[in-house]
Amino acid sequence: MSSPLYVGVDVGSSATKCIIIDKSATLVGHHVISSGFDYAEASEDVVRRALLQAEGEVEDVAACISTGYGREHVKIANKHVTEITCHARGARESYPEVRNIVDIGGQDTKVIRLSDTGRMVDYRMNAKCAAGTGTFLESTAHKLGLTIAELDDLAMSSKEQAVVNSYCTVFAGTEVIERIKSGQPREDISMGLFRSIATRVSEMIADPEGATALTGGVATHCRALLRALEEVLEVEIFLPPMPQHAGAYGAALLALKLQLAEKGADTPC
Amino acid sequence: MTTAAKRIEIQSQKRLGALMRAHFLDLDEASRDPSRRVAWCTSVGPCEILTAMGFDVYFPENHGALLGARRVSHELIPRAVGAGYSAESCSYMTSDIGSTLAGVSPLTDAFGIAGPPKPDLLVYSTNQCREVQDWWNFYGRRDGIPVMGICPPGHLGEVTSEHVAFVSGRMQRMIEEIENKFALRMDYDRLSEVVALSSRASALWGSVLDTAKARPAAMTFFDGAIHMAPVILMRGSQTAIDYYKSLLTELSQRVENGIGAIPDERFRVYWDGMPIWPKVRELAEKFYDLRTVVAASTYCNSWAFDEFDGGDPLDWMARSSIELFINRDENTKQRFLAQMFDRFEIDGAIFHNARTCPNNTNSRFGMPQRIRAELDMPSLVIDGDLSDVRFFSTAQTMTNIEAFVEQLEERQR
Repeated sequence: MSSPLYVGVDVGSSATKCIIIDKSATLVGHHVISSGFDYAEASEDVVRRALLQAEGEVEDVAACISTGYGREHVKIANKHVTEITCHARGARESYPEVRNIVDIGGQDTKVIRLSDTGRMVDYRMNAKCAAGTGTFLESTAHKLGLTIAELDDLAMSSKEQAVVNSYCTVFAGTEVIERIKSGQPREDISMGLFRSIATRVSEMIADPEGATALTGGVATHCRALLRALEEVLEVEIFLPPMPQHAGAYGAALLALKLQLAEKGADTPC
Repeated sequence: MTTAAKRIEIQSQKRLGALMRAHFLDLDEASRDPSRRVAWCTSVGPCEILTAMGFDVYFPENHGALLGARRVSHELIPRAVGAGYSAESCSYMTSDIGSTLAGVSPLTDAFGIAGPPKPDLLVYSTNQCREVQDWWNFYGRRDGIPVMGICPPGHLGEVTSEHVAFVSGRMQRMIEEIENKFALRMDYDRLSEVVALSSRASALWGSVLDTAKARPAAMTFFDGAIHMAPVILMRGSQTAIDYYKSLLTELSQRVENGIGAIPDERFRVYWDGMPIWPKVRELAEKFYDLRTVVAASTYCNSWAFDEFDGGDPLDWMARSSIELFINRDENTKQRFLAQMFDRFEIDGAIFHNARTCPNNTNSRFGMPQRIRAELDMPSLVIDGDLSDVRFFSTAQTMTNIEAFVEQLEERQR
């Protein structure tokens, strides 16, 4: 057996992500695939591919923590932890000074508040509604005949703001049609959609003090979201090196901690 | 994952099932017997007056809860919406009206009766919400049944003698209206007797709830949501008193023997707001798996009143009906919550933001933030509804609850 590996698997509503670290918490493998219909199969597949990159075998996995909505479907996992704790842990590793973590996923948006010692003190999740989530962007882009990447490109060339006010994804779609009818440039309408998400996020931030990080799949693909959030929140926002993998990274760090705790060793995380 | 098999069930529950059956069969008989009269009354409404005047009393809010618990509300609410009752208004009301319009009731499956007993009189108090007025008037208009109501002063800070006198006066007037309408005479000695029985059951119910102060807690909020039925439906009866004496004995034995509702209890949380009836079982199992006891709640405590001191029964009824939590201002509610957190040694508070029940939702005016800042009490707001499951996301809520317990774990370190 080669060196022990610590695995984090984040089974989200859209994508399943895997991060593998070694005993010094160094990243040695990662992968992301579509979650599809079978979360168990997706998680097995993503771990196998990440292990290939890590040049390891399943037998080398010393501990695994699963997270995300499909966390209970990960057979290899020793423990399930919510994505709220995992994203907090992953973002904190990248930016120890972070106090607010904004995680925008396919199904929901979360804002996690950390204390100055890194302890999670509060978190909020969007209400049962797609507004402010990746699904909102996907749905609206689809209605406009665009991919999210194309929507992002358009938004990044926006010169002026078009406002999309509606809370509801369906009503926002109607509002977009009204903007098109009134002749507003599609670049500005596209940016308006990202600002709409940013406005929803701003409602979830109880205390803006301290550094803010953005994680989640939407952050990976949408530069316009980062820009919109910085404009609306009026703060500089940190983007971790692999924002979509922040939850899986946090899970891998917690797996390392779990294993060291079981051995009674000091925990570096 | 479920660990329901390991749970030590409360034995009194079997007896409760039999009591409920007898209660509803008797109501059904009353509605078919021309010599008996049935009145519908709001919970924490002036039901003692009705009992003392010889009415059999039925509580429609219980039907709303039952429709929710049986997970049929969302199929029936569209009927009420079609009749003009908003899907965003009280889902007890819309599911009950929908059930009537559809001609179906869970009482048929549960007890073999056609449905709710046909009323001779509809009586409400808006001490808990205004929707009951419109709910009762639906039946009043539809079936030509007299509707009588009391609209007490609401959102009170201090409850003054003037407030009590006003409500007591309204009750007196209602008695006179009933006397005139049905050619009856109130026997005030009988009213005192009924109020004494009602308050005794209520006090015993308070003692039952207090068994959750023990570590481990002898019962949970989810147990309470089931066992509170007699204090609502059988108020003013010896039956309710006997039931709670027996339940209290069982739970006190649990406390003495160190038996908890949740073995290896790790955390104790508070539930504010309405139960999420369609998901009560799933939520109970989630908390069980997390070894976290929901030790106290605003909802269950809403039926635990001070005991009647033998004075004016109408004054006791008036005071009880306006002193309750839901009828108070934010500052009073916050003080009550702080006391409950201390009494039950609470680690965190969960607020249920019930979509169709703004009046019994306490997370909309900064309360979770204030208790966090002022009492250092972690809080979580979950979105849902009392009866309409369409306003509830299982995955989102369960993740929220797990993350909340993870937060409590972090605080413990």
